Amino acid sequence: MAPAVTTNLASLLLLADGRFPVGGHAHSGGIEAAMADGRVRDVVDVEAFTIGRLHTTGVMEAALAAATVVRLCGPNAVTERVLAEIDAEADARIPSAPLRAASRRLGRQLTRVAGPCWPDPVLPALGSIDPDGPHQAVALGGVAVAAGVGARDAALLALHHAATTPIQAAIKIAGLDPFALAAVTARLAPVIETLALVAATAADGPLAELPCSSAPLIEIAAATHDRTAQRLFAT
Amino acid sequence: MPPHLTDGEHVHHSHHPERTGPQARRALRVGIGGPVGTGKTELVACLCRAFAGERSMVVVTNDIFTKEDAAILERKGVLDPERIAAVQTGCCPHTAIRDDISENLDAIERLEQRFDPELVLLESGGDNLTATFSRALIDVQVFVIDVAGGDKIPRKGGPGITSSDLLVVNKVDLAEMVGADIGVMDRDARAGRGDLPTVFVSLRHDQQATPVADWIRGLLVARAGVGAVV
Repeated sequence: MAPAVTTNLASLLLLADGRFPVGGHAHSGGIEAAMADGRVRDVVDVEAFTIGRLHTTGVMEAALAAATVVRLCGPNAVTERVLAEIDAEADARIPSAPLRAASRRLGRQLTRVAGPCWPDPVLPALGSIDPDGPHQAVALGGVAVAAGVGARDAALLALHHAATTPIQAAIKIAGLDPFALAAVTARLAPVIETLALVAATAADGPLAELPCSSAPLIEIAAATHDRTAQRLFAT
Repeated sequence: MPPHLTDGEHVHHSHHPERTGPQARRALRVGIGGPVGTGKTELVACLCRAFAGERSMVVVTNDIFTKEDAAILERKGVLDPERIAAVQTGCCPHTAIRDDISENLDAIERLEQRFDPELVLLESGGDNLTATFSRALIDVQVFVIDVAGGDKIPRKGGPGITSSDLLVVNKVDLAEMVGADIGVMDRDARAGRGDLPTVFVSLRHDQQATPVADWIRGLLVARAGVGAVV
């Protein structure tokens, strides 16, 4: 096991806050496309969609973020090499081109806002991985290190946003009951806790064996959604 | 009625644009906000015409349905589509220009890197009278209202009306038809805005938005002067 990092809780809360300016409000986590197709219609559907997302792309992103933290904090870690290796793993795990682009965009936006928040050499290193920025999960891991957030908690953050992004978007798209959806989010807590542990455990293993679970319908719909004029959200 | 300035000396008391970030930028970034349907996209199209061949420019749009405004600009053929970026705001036009400027700042910087423009126009999605731009995103903001929204709008105030660097009142040609009193709008705008300039236009008839373009020209000249001193 990598050495346990004690998380700075206030930093964790800031990174979890939907008001933290990283541009997440422009994304729906694929639920806009699912609602446009009629695959998601009501609160029950939103819960099912979100559970599916958590178990697939959610845990995959969480493991990438946690692995970034573990390796950056490992003995003799070379920051640039660690980030480049995990970024390549992330690239291979996002088959849909628009989602890959969105992941890099959100990654560079997170890196930008983190700069003045938690000055740390890992942040410029994140910025230099790729001209389009680091993948979001890698950025989250790097920023977690800068902010003093441990690997399991970085995984928790990834999963928290994997759940709240589509849920908040569903409220705006279809006027669904925000109280009912708050309850859905709360009910998902044990799922998120369990998957964070799965991700953190995988993060201690070889990079090539990190979860690579995908949600094909989300990936395919993202490609179609990207060409849709009548859309509110980028993804 | 021809378009006219209510404040002919406005250029001289506009503030110097603040240069944010570690490096001074070349481009003047102008935010254009205002309620739905008042003529923001039309104003952007007019400014593209006015500056064609005169200044290198790029445009970022934020329509509710993401590509509508960008598509209109492309159809009008007023600017190379490569120089137009559409940014999605997830139902939150005000968030994207004020509370979380990430997506817009990212889009602007990408266009600036690519084209090194002198002028950036950022068109907000249509919103309410409280929608204003973050100073970290733009140098100056223009707020567009129209006479068809009623002549009470300037009196209602809100940060867009009272604090925008330029207030544009569009569709003055419709004033009589909708029973709007331009004199009342002018009086209330002056009362709420102090020394800040207001212009009355009909963009349908002034396809170069002359008073707005002239105001921006003044800022560009002032900016070049500041740069020369530095």
